[in-house]
Amino acid sequence: MKQNPIIKKLGLNRIILTGVLILMYVLFTAAIPNFSSMARIRSIMNYVYFLGFLSLGVTFVIATGGIDFSIGPVMFCCALVAGYCLNSYGVPMPLALLISILVGGLFGTFNGYLVSHWSVPPFIVSMASMNIAKGIGNIFTRSQTVSWPLSTDANGWFRNLIVYKGFPVGLFIFGVVAIICGMILYNTKAGRYILCLGSNREAVRLSGVNTKKYEMLAYVICGVLVGIAAIFFVGAYTTVQPGYGDQYNNEAIAGCVMGGTSMVGGLASIGGTVIGVFIISLLQSGILAFGMAKDVQLITTGIIVIIAVYADVMARRRKN
Amino acid sequence: MGEVILTMKDIDKSFPGVHALDHVSFEVCKGEVHALMGENGAGKSTLMKVLTGIYTKDSGTIIYEGKEVTFHNTREAQDAGVVIVHQELNMIGDLTVAQNIFIGREFMKGFRIDDKKMIAESRKLFDELHIDIDPQAKMNDLTVGKQQMCEIAKAISHQAKVIIFDEPSAALTEKEIEDLFAIIRDLRERQLGIVYISHRMDEIKVITDRVTVMRDGTYVGTLITKECTKEDIINMMVGRVIYEEPKTKSLVPPDAPVVLKVEHLNAGRMVQDVSFELHRGEILGFSGLMGAGRTETARALFGADPKQSGDIYVNGKKIEINSPEDAVKAGIGYLSEDRKRYGIVVQKSITQNSTLACLDRYVNGPFLNKKAEREITQKYIDELSTKTPGPDQLVVNLSGGNQQKVVIAKWLIQNCDILIFDEPTRGIDVGAKNEIYKLMARLAAEGKSIIMISSEMTEILRMSDRILVMCEGRKTGEIPIEEATQELIMDKATRNIQ
Repeated sequence: MKQNPIIKKLGLNRIILTGVLILMYVLFTAAIPNFSSMARIRSIMNYVYFLGFLSLGVTFVIATGGIDFSIGPVMFCCALVAGYCLNSYGVPMPLALLISILVGGLFGTFNGYLVSHWSVPPFIVSMASMNIAKGIGNIFTRSQTVSWPLSTDANGWFRNLIVYKGFPVGLFIFGVVAIICGMILYNTKAGRYILCLGSNREAVRLSGVNTKKYEMLAYVICGVLVGIAAIFFVGAYTTVQPGYGDQYNNEAIAGCVMGGTSMVGGLASIGGTVIGVFIISLLQSGILAFGMAKDVQLITTGIIVIIAVYADVMARRRKN
Repeated sequence: MGEVILTMKDIDKSFPGVHALDHVSFEVCKGEVHALMGENGAGKSTLMKVLTGIYTKDSGTIIYEGKEVTFHNTREAQDAGVVIVHQELNMIGDLTVAQNIFIGREFMKGFRIDDKKMIAESRKLFDELHIDIDPQAKMNDLTVGKQQMCEIAKAISHQAKVIIFDEPSAALTEKEIEDLFAIIRDLRERQLGIVYISHRMDEIKVITDRVTVMRDGTYVGTLITKECTKEDIINMMVGRVIYEEPKTKSLVPPDAPVVLKVEHLNAGRMVQDVSFELHRGEILGFSGLMGAGRTETARALFGADPKQSGDIYVNGKKIEINSPEDAVKAGIGYLSEDRKRYGIVVQKSITQNSTLACLDRYVNGPFLNKKAEREITQKYIDELSTKTPGPDQLVVNLSGGNQQKVVIAKWLIQNCDILIFDEPTRGIDVGAKNEIYKLMARLAAEGKSIIMISSEMTEILRMSDRILVMCEGRKTGEIPIEEATQELIMDKATRNIQ
């Protein structure tokens, strides 16, 4: 049984996913009037950006065999802290953006250190830091909603990162970051170690590799990407409320595992994650356009995670 | 010897890359002790695992008590009365003896576990078998021999009709073996069918009624023990394999420098005050029974497990080894006894496994130099004649012997001068085994220094230039190959067991 080389190169899973994505788009366009309007597409893209960065980040963590349930709330924490600094302390915009990334990176470092050096299970660590992130966001802003500048405001230029005169800068940045993530994961020493330790940590450690360092690095990368996601979130939706963000955990993880990244670690697909993110974003937009409640979307993402993980489990069982 | 209780006919089983059982047949009668013999990797354990439902057979039939049966798991086999006493012990260390024996079928008193009854039942069982073990003792506190006795008691408590002993004596002392034989004779009296897997020829002659020999996954023949000689059995076992004579003299020049010196190494209960030296070009055999602390010594030395104290010198220079990273930097490589868990990353390619220890050398700026990686991997595939379509093949698709070669390649590419081979031929077929032996001899001749941990006496005697013997965490002897005999090694390996 010889596989078609083109299919092998692109990956059967990704081809199917792309098909699903196109099919969904066609169905939605047919069923919902004005679905392919410019405004709708822009709204889908807004969702793709922040979710995409979250999903790319969590791909690194899942590749090590870990998990991060704190990404959504941490993203909110980043946006709250940076936005509060901007509004209340008059921090210049570039610095505020940097603060967002820094806060994300710090959370990643914290999670990664506990997981790799203290061997605390990632599930527990990320649950804890999810609450820590919410708490910090609350205390820092004194439980006030934080609004980022509108495009007409003095500091509104940061929104050009998303759209500049109709040109989708955000899509371009997302693409570049995804390519860099792919480069890191597949073409650098760190990426190789991250994937291998996700597959068999002990064998990698006994090969003389400092596994703790590379496992932690995966969480740091994730944190930095969460910080970037925060910028794109406020760039699209302006306001952030303390105490929220959980729902994006599942959506980001769903995008990632749907794309072929294995929950047990060792296998990760950046391309798959990107397609997965588009599917989730399209889906949420479609569900809202159908006039269904947000809860339907929560249920759907939940089901998608279960199906994607089950498919992965079955694929592994067949291989053995 | 009574009627036939169990017949296995034309059993066939393949694993990816290995034809583990090739139409093997086997039978046991009531009141019989039937030996199953063969080299490591001949398929004895696989056959028994097929019988007890751990593996599913590809084809063939199993007839038990006159009916065709297929057990889907050990539980079903146990319930039917076919029980296996494993080579590796399956006990939970933190539970008591009684809790272990009745695990999965605890006596209940309402919603509570009836510990008292389990203790009483265990005591009854031990009395019956004339074993002196306290049912309330923690499993961890027993010697390996006593733990084995518990396994046997557990097997018997299942109303067993057929009991399989998979190398039960490997870790036992003389006295414990005598006790074991007394139990086995008693079971034979009671008309149980007993399968006895062992490598020890002397035991086979003493305890068994018939001998079935397997080789490379095939059935060779069955002999009646009384009517055959040791040589008959060996000839059947060995078959086409060219059995090389033990090494008669050390191949290490007398003036070879010491490359590794370990002084007073202590790591837990299993490594107590171990000191030794390793010379350039030497193969130092580590012999001893199961649980003697050889692997633990190697792991402590390599930094895989923490050590309490001990000094390590490489090429005369004292070095600190606190992690495998330190050890690899010092030029030490370790091939684990458990290849799948500690040696290879099965879901990754040969290339990714081969360069895992020295990826630093295969980078171009920030990026990996995949072309160079593939080239060096191909070079070692050729050099070690690893059987694979190419360097991109996933390791999971290779046979045990070829997986081992990938691990060896990893350390050779890293250019380690000191190699620790922990059971290098475990689970590897005979042909690949000989290749690994040749390879080790060649590496030593090229000036690499090798520590070879092995539980196979023939392997120790064939490969080593010097033999270090351990027992219960201590070094109990150091024997130059010129003076080494099986008896001498065994004597030292059982030295301080009471």
